[in-house]
Amino acid sequence: MSRRSRRWETLIDFFFYKESHQWLAILRIGLGVLVVLYALSLLNDWNYLFATSGEAVVTRDFAEALLFLQARFVPTLGWLVRAGESLGLREGLVLSASWVCLIGVGIGLLLGVFCRVSAIAAWFLHLCATKSGAFVTYGVDDFMTIGLFYLMLSPLPDRYTFDRWLRRTTPKSFLTLGFFRRVLQLHLSLIYFFSGLTKCLGSDWWNGLNLWRALTRPPFNVIPAELLVRWKLIFPIVGIAICLIEIGYPVFIWLKKTRSFWLIAVLLMHAAIGVMMGMYLFALVMIVLNLAAFAPDSFLFRKRCEPGVPIPSEID
Amino acid sequence: MLTNRDLRKSALLIWLVVHFLLLIAVSFRETLLLVSQGVTILPPGARTFSRKAESISAVPLALHLTESNPVRQTAATYLSFAGIDAGYGYFAPNVPNSYKLVFELHYRDGHTETRTPTENSGALDLRLVSLLDEIGRTQSDAFREYMIKKLAALIWREQPDVVTMRALLSQSVEPTPDDYKQGKRESDALLYAYNFSLVSETPAPKQ
Repeated sequence: MSRRSRRWETLIDFFFYKESHQWLAILRIGLGVLVVLYALSLLNDWNYLFATSGEAVVTRDFAEALLFLQARFVPTLGWLVRAGESLGLREGLVLSASWVCLIGVGIGLLLGVFCRVSAIAAWFLHLCATKSGAFVTYGVDDFMTIGLFYLMLSPLPDRYTFDRWLRRTTPKSFLTLGFFRRVLQLHLSLIYFFSGLTKCLGSDWWNGLNLWRALTRPPFNVIPAELLVRWKLIFPIVGIAICLIEIGYPVFIWLKKTRSFWLIAVLLMHAAIGVMMGMYLFALVMIVLNLAAFAPDSFLFRKRCEPGVPIPSEID
Repeated sequence: MLTNRDLRKSALLIWLVVHFLLLIAVSFRETLLLVSQGVTILPPGARTFSRKAESISAVPLALHLTESNPVRQTAATYLSFAGIDAGYGYFAPNVPNSYKLVFELHYRDGHTETRTPTENSGALDLRLVSLLDEIGRTQSDAFREYMIKKLAALIWREQPDVVTMRALLSQSVEPTPDDYKQGKRESDALLYAYNFSLVSETPAPKQ
């Protein structure tokens, strides 16, 4: 076999290997919880954010008009509202129904009921809300879209779903199961690399000022500044540590010896963001994506493949 | 002879290459934009290079084509579908100062109150902060005025007794930890002020 074909074989083995259903179950359940929490967090504000009349922020039509110029085939809540109006339904009713559907598909994902349909519907409804509320989105929306996009493409249902128990649906092929896990792993590696790189390019991550600013900037100022200022000496250390954890992620998360350490460091970083800055959903989505991508190979989970299925190939 | 399985693998690998090419192009472009704006620690010479490199990274995203071009529309649609239409420079290269929007409400009976759009606390505040950042960062006067007017109209609906309203958009400057220890607190630098009344809405000049 020539060197070229050996490299090709290695590449194929890297992407198409036999993988357990663990990672997909983590992603599905995690995103199911997130979709439900996302919808519940907007329970009282859904119409305030997305209606175009009455007590609303009224940015939806503007965001949708701008989006139409850039990408006219991206779904928005305006699509649903117009479809509802053609059936004689009022805007408020359509918006409320879309919120209820979002909760429903979130529970569907969580329990693993009609997995594929739930995943597609969750991605679609969440994308509609994110694009219609483009001016009121933040990091959690981007990462939920990414997670739901990969979940929708992955070979659902996994082994741990109600679909499998109730409807006797057989798990799908292993071919794409490993492939989409690799895609998620590579995507996360790029996310952290670019996030770390841009932080390293800022002067104030090296002296800890950015950490102070991030923690005292409203509405992220969960911890009183009087308390934070006592820890000012450790801000430069933590600031540099964040830069190193992020920019080193694409290397050290892949090495078997450092994987568990790096994963724990990243999980702790996101947990701290959630607790100390009040960004609970953002923290949760990053934890879910990291756990799905890398936890099954770390000490956090004992590797449990199906009988006869080899352990996935790893880069060591 | 290629089997169905081989064809499927090839198709998935082609998708993967295109997907990651777009993803890297978006991320690189956003990083290069930051460098070209001179907000990084890189020397001034890097700005010229990054401007050129940024225009190259725009090619895979079809940004050199007109907005209505089908190729650009298709690329933009796919990026939105996959959630990869934005880079990952959160709180980078530096954490920006926050913006504050305060409405002074002047009632019919002569008394005055102040209101801010972010008074709800919780999930909505995180989202309204994104809106304030958009309003504060925009270079477009028309967009800024439009959005502030919309928020003012919202308050007006809740408070019909208000006769005139003054919207003050300012940037909050946080003290450093050392300054904070010495008693210095957050200060606001006024950027724009707008006067609204039920009869007419006239933006006031920058103060």
